[in-house]
Amino acid sequence: MSFSTETVIGMEIHAELKTKTKLFCSCSREANEFEKPNTRTCPVCLGHPGSKPVLNRKAVEYAIRVCLATGCAISPALIFSRKSYFYPDLAKNYQISQYEQPLGTKGSLSLDSGKEIGITRVHMEEDPASLVHPAGVGGSSSVLVDYNRSGNPLCEIVTEPDLETPDEAREFLKKLTSILNYLDVFDADSCIIKADANISIKGSGYTRVEIKNITGYKEVERALRYEITRQRQEVSSGGRIIQETRGWDADKGLTFRMRTKETEDDYGYIIDPDLTATAISAPWVRRIKEGLPELAHEKETRYVLEHKISIEDARVIAAEKDLARLFEKVAEKVSPILAARWLRRELVRVMNYSKIDFSGLKIDEKHLSDLLTLVEQKRITEKTAQKLMEQLIKEPFDVHEHVEKNGLASVNDDGAIEEACSQTINANPQAVSEYKAGSEKALNFLIGQVMRQTKGKADPKIIREKMLAGLDH
Amino acid sequence: MTMRASELAGGVRDGSIDPVEHTEKVLEEIERIDKDYHYLNTICADRARKAASDLKKGGSKGRLAGIPLSIKDSIVVKGVESTGGSAILKGYVPVFNATCVERGEKEGAIVIGKTSQDEFGFGAFAVNVGKGFRIPKNPIDPTRATGGSSGGAAGLAKKASFPTISYGESTGGSIVNPASFCDVFGLCPTYGRVSRYGLIDYGNSLDKVGPISRYLSDVALGLEVMAGHDAKDSTSADAPVEEFSSSIGKDLRGLRIGVIKESFGEGTEEDVKDAVWTGIKRLEGEGARYEEVNTPLAFEFGIPAYYIIGTSEASTNLAKYCGMRYGVQEETADGFNEYFTRIRSENLGDEAKRRVMLGTFARMSGVRDAYYLKAAKVRTKIIEEYKSLFKRFDILVSPTVPYKPPTFDEIGRLTPLQHYMADVMTVSPNLAGLPHLNIPAGMKKGLPVGMMAIADHWKESELFRAGAPFERP
Repeated sequence: MSFSTETVIGMEIHAELKTKTKLFCSCSREANEFEKPNTRTCPVCLGHPGSKPVLNRKAVEYAIRVCLATGCAISPALIFSRKSYFYPDLAKNYQISQYEQPLGTKGSLSLDSGKEIGITRVHMEEDPASLVHPAGVGGSSSVLVDYNRSGNPLCEIVTEPDLETPDEAREFLKKLTSILNYLDVFDADSCIIKADANISIKGSGYTRVEIKNITGYKEVERALRYEITRQRQEVSSGGRIIQETRGWDADKGLTFRMRTKETEDDYGYIIDPDLTATAISAPWVRRIKEGLPELAHEKETRYVLEHKISIEDARVIAAEKDLARLFEKVAEKVSPILAARWLRRELVRVMNYSKIDFSGLKIDEKHLSDLLTLVEQKRITEKTAQKLMEQLIKEPFDVHEHVEKNGLASVNDDGAIEEACSQTINANPQAVSEYKAGSEKALNFLIGQVMRQTKGKADPKIIREKMLAGLDH
Repeated sequence: MTMRASELAGGVRDGSIDPVEHTEKVLEEIERIDKDYHYLNTICADRARKAASDLKKGGSKGRLAGIPLSIKDSIVVKGVESTGGSAILKGYVPVFNATCVERGEKEGAIVIGKTSQDEFGFGAFAVNVGKGFRIPKNPIDPTRATGGSSGGAAGLAKKASFPTISYGESTGGSIVNPASFCDVFGLCPTYGRVSRYGLIDYGNSLDKVGPISRYLSDVALGLEVMAGHDAKDSTSADAPVEEFSSSIGKDLRGLRIGVIKESFGEGTEEDVKDAVWTGIKRLEGEGARYEEVNTPLAFEFGIPAYYIIGTSEASTNLAKYCGMRYGVQEETADGFNEYFTRIRSENLGDEAKRRVMLGTFARMSGVRDAYYLKAAKVRTKIIEEYKSLFKRFDILVSPTVPYKPPTFDEIGRLTPLQHYMADVMTVSPNLAGLPHLNIPAGMKKGLPVGMMAIADHWKESELFRAGAPFERP
């Protein structure tokens, strides 16, 4: 392949599928909060002599969903291979993976810019065990192995080297995670998602360096940024980039050499003779396809067309499955434009401020639509609504009852506002004369006084109107 | 004359035979036999006594009630050390039963011990035993080999004065070969007929569990109990299990026999040719018709294809034996790579190492296409060759082994390649997954000669039909 861009990036993403059981045995996939090491295991995931793998069909269905959502061609048969290498985290010293004939090939995923990122392959494999370094990596004289994770189902998604910047890499990973969430095959709380990134720069003649095991979008961007700078500096100071595998130390914010690759690794792949080929019939794929949910990019388009909200709002809302769900519910009760503005800006702002995510969100669409109905009908001011949103997130309550009990309904009585304005004009002769001399600041001061008097329940626009009328009197 | 196993079970069922007393006598006898003949890697006397007393209390109506079963060491038995004849698995006590063992015990069988074998099944004479293991001796002449790899299984079936069934295993001939040298019936079933769950793998696409016994009717009984679909083995087939014993004694008129011409060539001893031809004539006398046929692909390419596929698979299967998790374990003073190397160097025998190296080479990138993938294609061609013959014939016949049991001295002078040639008759039906039976065809110079009958997939009944005239009275 010939490249021309400054930077070439390709990614391999491993996402754990949220099945109930492991890929080849009936052990639970999900960790129990109180589990001890090496208890969620059986002869199969420990690789005991005589044990044999039996494929979890649910995992296959999940992986097919991923293939369909990324536009991959799906292989008519699922064939597993043994990828052999000696490592203590591999129960059998080979990993059951796929080689010659991956489940999905030739897919793509588009970025916001419209740029298509090619997906080379999507395949299934089993997760190795986890290594535990009792005194930290590098500081431990021995390593412990915990096989609880051994045999968990992973879906590996490999991209073409179509990414050109760390930003694109980050966006790609974010988009992919959004898809996995929508497909209901991935659960951010219990599933692992890791990325390996291959990166090369023009200056080195595109010598490829692989960065292993990066977790999170931000980390992908940071790691790639660091690596680009490192490679450029190396080249500009006359050094040479060598083909190697590097690790990412998120704490120190740098990549480090793991091993150099003089030749491609030889995993001695053979077809796993313990597993028969699983036919992936067209009717099966069709059934899965029919059950696929509407995905982010489809929602985005629909929101713009159907609800007339801005493309930016639509994109942000659609990207997050839970936010989209709330939006769709709330938009049934109030104006979608109002709902979009409040959910995208206020809800997300308050959630970020309170450091909670959707899984920890205690309010539902009823709270939000009650609140926004009051705003829409101008029965509370936006300021009141913002305050209520902050309180709701901490501890939910019935919005209507609360507004009534605490007298938060906005002051819509023109007479009362006029009365407050004339009182304020009389009490602040200094400010009045400054206003008459042309000071806008003095006007704002006077409006502020009225707002304080009405405890924020009056619409600032109406106060302004009445105040100006009173002053010009 | 010894009682048949089926008669023993009948006696236990109707109360005329006390399983506890009988088992006690059996244990005494195997202790004695084993001292001289080395048929058992482990005798599980306590487990056998407990099973017998449970059987007596429960009044079992099982088909194998009270029948002593010996299990090849590569088939795991819960709570009984199971090593596959290898020092590297010394001390490994499985936490589960192989499916065939479970089914046998459910029918009231009494497991008496684990029979000796070539390490992991790597041999044709049972002389390639693991480090520290004893070589089994031929029951007819202890200066000669039992054949292999299920040597202990066949030896015990012949030598025991009590009725018994041995569970053997064949990858390239390891059931019929020792059955031939030990003058007993041994049946290797169709691949997928008997569950491999609990079988310590040699070559997973080739391995089959099957029964060995002095009587053909007891081989049929053993097969009836062990056969049938098992959800724990993905390669186990959902084929109906017939009453195989009912084929014994069926009319032989019209049985079409193909006599494999190549198997009577230069490398085959005259005594063997004579005995097998006498056997064929005997079948003809019973009304069968025979014709000479050629299987050129099977003879020319069977051995290389078998050794490439078998060792490729074996080299991945043996990777997990590295001194972690189970089996031998030592202090880890160095890195895991050095540790794995040390454990494997010290505990695997020469033939195991040779096959690991051959197999690892055959699947290396660069040569993989020329060896591993090509061997898979050859295998398909061999299957086609047999399949076309089975359109015209019910069974194919050849000698089981080209010679009579050799002495240990003679075996010591063989090169590895000559050693592999012992499998020349048997590897191809094994590659093709075809059922085959050793039929004791008579004695020559005081040594037994075996005749092998091969049938089409799932047609074991034809083998029982053809073996019937040779059944012991």
